[in-house]
Amino acid sequence: MSVKHPQLKWAAVSLGLALAGAGCAVTGVGVGVGYDGPGYYEGGFYEPYGYDYGGWGRGYRVGPPGGGHRGGPGPGGGHPYHSPAPGRSMPSMPGRPRGH
Amino acid sequence: MLSFVRGLRGNLPRSALFLLFAGGPALAAPPFELPQIGGSPAEHHPGKIIWADLVTPDLAVAERFYGGLFGWSFKNIHAANGDYAVAWIDGHPVGGLLERPIPPGEHRQPAWLTFIAVKDVDAARRTALGSGAKSVSEPKTYAGRGRQAVLSDPDGAVFAVLASTSGDPPDYLAEPGEWIWSALLTKDAGHSAAFYQSVFGYDVFDLPSDDGVEHVVLSSDDYARASANTFPTGSARRHPHWLNFIRVADATKAADKAVSLGGKILVEPHEDRHGGHSAVVADPAGAPIGLMEWSGTESKAEPQ
Repeated sequence: MSVKHPQLKWAAVSLGLALAGAGCAVTGVGVGVGYDGPGYYEGGFYEPYGYDYGGWGRGYRVGPPGGGHRGGPGPGGGHPYHSPAPGRSMPSMPGRPRGH
Repeated sequence: MLSFVRGLRGNLPRSALFLLFAGGPALAAPPFELPQIGGSPAEHHPGKIIWADLVTPDLAVAERFYGGLFGWSFKNIHAANGDYAVAWIDGHPVGGLLERPIPPGEHRQPAWLTFIAVKDVDAARRTALGSGAKSVSEPKTYAGRGRQAVLSDPDGAVFAVLASTSGDPPDYLAEPGEWIWSALLTKDAGHSAAFYQSVFGYDVFDLPSDDGVEHVVLSSDDYARASANTFPTGSARRHPHWLNFIRVADATKAADKAVSLGGKILVEPHEDRHGGHSAVVADPAGAPIGLMEWSGTESKAEPQ
């Protein structure tokens, strides 16, 4: 496609330069828009709208196991993940205070 | 320079000049320097959640909420694509808040982005992509921070991988106001665990539960790092995502305070698996965040 009108041609060139300078390489991620270039930070992305926190009753818990928790490796096989060796105890979180 | 501009004005229409120099500030912007996360470049804990960034449409509102709720203070840094504030507590950086406008008429979900430690971002990204992940943003290196990339797992939960140039924070018990736990809420905890195991080398432990759905613990260095949880039955709009928890002294009081600061309660305070109470609240823009009590006595003895 040729641009015959000189003003339009300059505008198109300028727009391209401005976008390149501003680093607007849009990554188009589906859940948000990312940018790249000097001074741009890609540390946050909007997610699809409307998380649902219904159904958390009836004992639904997502927290960590406490000390002495009797969970452990799941029964061998039947999991899509690799289970730890039998006999390994359930890890908990670090208990050491900062600086110790 | 002036004669160059005059020359341009002789050939360019004003609209084109405006467009040409619109990108100038970005080119002239100072380096975007982030605070260091770790204390020693030699300390690495792959699989540990080491950072979180909030994306929000109103930074000032978010700062008032999180500052009032957790006692965070903020240091603002101007990024070319929006203002960014680093949250601090007791002299330690705890997270980042990035302001990005939501286009009028669009519904977007403000959220905290979870950063998981890796030694090699590009290698972890290749493994993730090979295991069904999608790229959200390409790997990029930031001064002071390290190299990071954003991905979505095969079920769509977004997370970031980060190789911190200052190393990873040591393993210690989180103080009130710091991140203490992370939970992946997903369609199938077992399949998600397999994905994250392939990328981060986690040990995966099954968590017995009486709620009829699967829960597992993801651990590394023999420490529990996060849980992966199949959605509860009965949830209607279910988009897989990571949910991060801040340690609080009293989850009920903290949830009430969140409401008084403009947030709302998503999950009422309840006794969690470790014996303490936890809750989930939304900030004024709707970003969910967990609140978790921890008595300090539930953790296992330190490895000798």
